[in-house]
Amino acid sequence: MSAIRVDAKVVMLGKESVGKTSLVERYVHHRFLVGPYQNTIGAAFVAKPIQVGEKVVTLGIWDTAGSERYEAMSRIYYRGARAAIVCYDLTDSSSFQRARFWVKELQNCEEHCKIYLCGTKSDLIEGDRSLRQIDYHDAQDFADEIGALHFETSSKTGNNVDELFHKVAEDYNNTAFQYMTEETGVDLGQKKDSCFYSCCHNN
Amino acid sequence: MDGEVHRAAASWENGTLAPVDRLRTERADSPTPGLVEGTEPGAGQKSAMFVHAQSFEDLTAETEEARKEAEGYSELGKPADSTDGIEVLMGKDTISEKQNKKEGWQDSKSKEEDVSSEAWRSHRKHVFVLSEAGKPIYTRYGTEEALSSTMGVMMALVSFVEADKNIIRSIHADGYKVVFLSKSPLVLVGVSRTSQSDKELMRELQYIYYQIVSLLTLTQLNHIFQHKQNYDLRRLLAGSEHLTDNLLHRLDRDPGLLLSAVTCLPLASSTRDVVSSSLQAAKAKSLVFSILLAGDYLVTLVRKKDQFLHHIDLHLVFNLVGSSSSFREGEGWTPICLPKFNTAGFFHAHISYLEPASDLCLILVSTDREDFFNLSECKQRFLERLSKRNAYQALKDALKSPSYSVAQVGIPELRHFLYKSKSSGLYTSPELPVVYQSEEEEERLMGLYHDLHSRLHHATRPLRSIYHCGETENLMAWVTSGFELYLCFSPLGTKALAVSAVNKLLKWIRKEEDRLFILSPLTY
Ligand SMILES: Nc1nc2c(ncn2[C@@H]2O[C@H](COP(=O)(O)OP(=O)(O)OP(=O)(O)O)[C@@H](O)[C@H]2O)c(=O)[nH]1
Ligand SMILES: [Mg+2]
Repeated sequence: MSAIRVDAKVVMLGKESVGKTSLVERYVHHRFLVGPYQNTIGAAFVAKPIQVGEKVVTLGIWDTAGSERYEAMSRIYYRGARAAIVCYDLTDSSSFQRARFWVKELQNCEEHCKIYLCGTKSDLIEGDRSLRQIDYHDAQDFADEIGALHFETSSKTGNNVDELFHKVAEDYNNTAFQYMTEETGVDLGQKKDSCFYSCCHNN
Repeated sequence: MDGEVHRAAASWENGTLAPVDRLRTERADSPTPGLVEGTEPGAGQKSAMFVHAQSFEDLTAETEEARKEAEGYSELGKPADSTDGIEVLMGKDTISEKQNKKEGWQDSKSKEEDVSSEAWRSHRKHVFVLSEAGKPIYTRYGTEEALSSTMGVMMALVSFVEADKNIIRSIHADGYKVVFLSKSPLVLVGVSRTSQSDKELMRELQYIYYQIVSLLTLTQLNHIFQHKQNYDLRRLLAGSEHLTDNLLHRLDRDPGLLLSAVTCLPLASSTRDVVSSSLQAAKAKSLVFSILLAGDYLVTLVRKKDQFLHHIDLHLVFNLVGSSSSFREGEGWTPICLPKFNTAGFFHAHISYLEPASDLCLILVSTDREDFFNLSECKQRFLERLSKRNAYQALKDALKSPSYSVAQVGIPELRHFLYKSKSSGLYTSPELPVVYQSEEEEERLMGLYHDLHSRLHHATRPLRSIYHCGETENLMAWVTSGFELYLCFSPLGTKALAVSAVNKLLKWIRKEEDRLFILSPLTY
């Protein structure tokens, strides 16, 4: 059966038009689409295998729509996620408020989900520093406080994008490895099943 | 009879047609009687795919008519009071000179457009949506903020009339028609300079209403406004404006929306059968509809037994898929309300293209929002079956020429036609001939069809057939219990020729019906 086999569920969260889709697009297809902005409708799923050391980890990435319309639906997208990339637009301070909202939501409902805080569109502030609305250190402090990793990326130039997703896969791989060493005697396959029951349906 | 001819002539006058004295409208008796619903070319062999497949009326009937009867309504002619209110909106009569200005549709949606400008006023058709508290929700042109006072006036007008237990339906003034549709908790207003009838405009507003309901459900809409009358609905609709814009564009252009019907990708029936049965086999418990589209063509539709899809709901799906590139990559998973099926709840649609660059888009409509991976597997199973049975290549080949030329019919004077089988809710139409391929000409031809349609389906004096001689083309329209037919001939043809052409065309459609229509729709 050719159903997608996913190792880790990753969810993209953040206010509309912060650049979640562009981030996935850059990472998965190595490109940046110019032209009119197209909001995501509902959510889009894509599976992406990534080489980590000697292993291949397949990330199942859920790119959610930022529109409030889908907020009630968001749980089904982040439930059981191993990683959440919470995005904000470096040039839009209101998007940072929204990022805080998502962080709180994840802390309440998905405590095992690792959070990656991601400031997007860094190319814009490289062009014009005055456009920056979220101070790097403020964001870093917030990330430290919630135990998240912090990145600033540009989907336009590709800056830091691969690094972000690679880190997600690597962290997953390390924790998966941890499970294995800590819980000797437990069949990893079984563990996997219970872990990923909600995120992927294998067979 | 006389009255009819006269009336018709007057209504053409506003359109783009020839001088009145050259017009001829006749009510002809059916030249080939006896085609009964269910036996017409294109009629499904087993069961219909859609509910209310034949009904143009059902869009308006249940609401307007029922309400009319229940509460009694008044159609406002030109009450002096109300025209004042409308002045605010439309300004002076200078506007009509710009009537024929070309409207490139891509750039027509200039949201930044100044709402006090001539350009804004000169749009042929405005559509506004507001809440019952008078808060702006949507405008086709310009920004909602800039129009909040205008919308306030509209709402005042609506409630002023309603206070008297009347319903405001339309205002005619200054070459404009202002049409109101009150669908609690929303109010929709159309302002048009086209020759469309109130009924047609109302129907278009209904579509916009359903578009909004499909995003939120009526239950949620009601809940929101019960909770907070003053709620700014744009917050929840953010990012969906282009869906409404696109739907309005389709309403002007897409014969399917006019005919309340859907068109199929012409496909050898053997191929279509394999595609349908492959889709049928790829079922899941939660699946209600499986729909395969190729652009604006339906390839096949498989449904759960006893569940029917309404053509309006299908058009909303077409619009959703066609308006967004967001399903191009990966697999989409989105809640969607199909308002004609149920305004209270969401389905969950798995939407994906068979290949990234392909036009073939598969929509799997499910009742279970947790079922994504299951449906994803259904898609895989479908694809495997298609390839195994060599139908995928045949399907892709058919996609290379999704339309056919009218020359195939073999009637030299015939330029174009629309044929709808009422019982199947499907229609067929050839590609536009060269003379109608420019944007203006396409729009004009569609305008002519709109006019014919509106006269056939006139609320109080419906016609069975129309023959009309114009300077640039001759037109004919004919409706029976089985089908609806609209034909466009070269202006050199005669009526006798047209009548014999109809027979020839019907025969041709009958011959080609298993390629042009879905004759045996499947269920799971
Ligand atoms: N300059 C620049 N523009 C970007 C970047 N990333 C995204 N954009 C632009 O920002 C807009 C929104 O990008 P999307 O990726 O569609 O945003 P989104 O977060 O997916 O939005 P929703 O789907 O509505 O939630 C688009 O016009 C992009 O071109 C970036 O790194 N640099
Ligand atoms: Mg997006």
